[in-house]
Amino acid sequence: MAAEMNKTMKVGIIACSGEEIPEGTISRSAVRRVLESLRPSETVTLCLPLFLAGNEGERNFARTHPIITIDGCDKECARWGTEKHGGPVSRALVVTDILGTSAAGCSRSSRERGPADERAVAAVAERIAAEVDALMKEGLEAHDDGSS
Amino acid sequence: MREDRGKVLVIPCSGIGKVHGLLSRESAYLVTDELAPDETDVVCLALLVREDEETLAKVRVNPCITIDGCGKACAQKNVEIAGGQVASAVQVAKILTKHRDSQPGTGSELTEEGWAISREIAEAVAEEASRVSAGQEVA
Repeated sequence: MAAEMNKTMKVGIIACSGEEIPEGTISRSAVRRVLESLRPSETVTLCLPLFLAGNEGERNFARTHPIITIDGCDKECARWGTEKHGGPVSRALVVTDILGTSAAGCSRSSRERGPADERAVAAVAERIAAEVDALMKEGLEAHDDGSS
Repeated sequence: MREDRGKVLVIPCSGIGKVHGLLSRESAYLVTDELAPDETDVVCLALLVREDEETLAKVRVNPCITIDGCGKACAQKNVEIAGGQVASAVQVAKILTKHRDSQPGTGSELTEEGWAISREIAEAVAEEASRVSAGQEVA
């Protein structure tokens, strides 16, 4: 049963993608990396503007799956919107909390992406992946407890 | 709020699932960082939807140009819901129909072809921003 659940359980990740600051670009790029390279089988992303615009498919997913929000700054728009329309999130990450001041040399546009951007995206993506692993483990343990 | 008045706000949807969202985002940066930095500024769509007071105030007193990836037009709709004036609404999906055989990239990165399309979108937006800005000065 645990293996069956492992194949079907997905964690949703929602980035703020804030356009005004480099941390918004880092949130977006890190989520894409988790989806494409680090945890492609365990994760899906939800489009925040679509979610906030009232798409029921996206909102239903958020109500029925564990969600990680990843925000660029402490205004936490992704978390705010997700909790308003989809309920409590399982993890709420903030790029500035993860990176401290090391995002200062990063760029908003991917045209200017350099080593500092790469390091920042890698660090945030690894942190998201670790939280995905923890949620999958929690989910499996809860499932095993429920079936024993 | 007069101090907020001035620049044309460029607001992309930045949709994360497809190349369309990345094209909207990078086109906005080309406009605000390179083609028309004195006339335009970019605004966080998420902050607007979060009802951030400063962002709401900016959007309500400045003309906005939205760049949406798809026909769901999330940026345009959210600016309108916030009480902003959409001076022009661009849709990347429509522009891509003129480039049927192109390979613009993915949601993570643009190809050379993608950057060329992004510049085409940005040049159209910058031109529109200049027109809107001139009209604003006359008014």
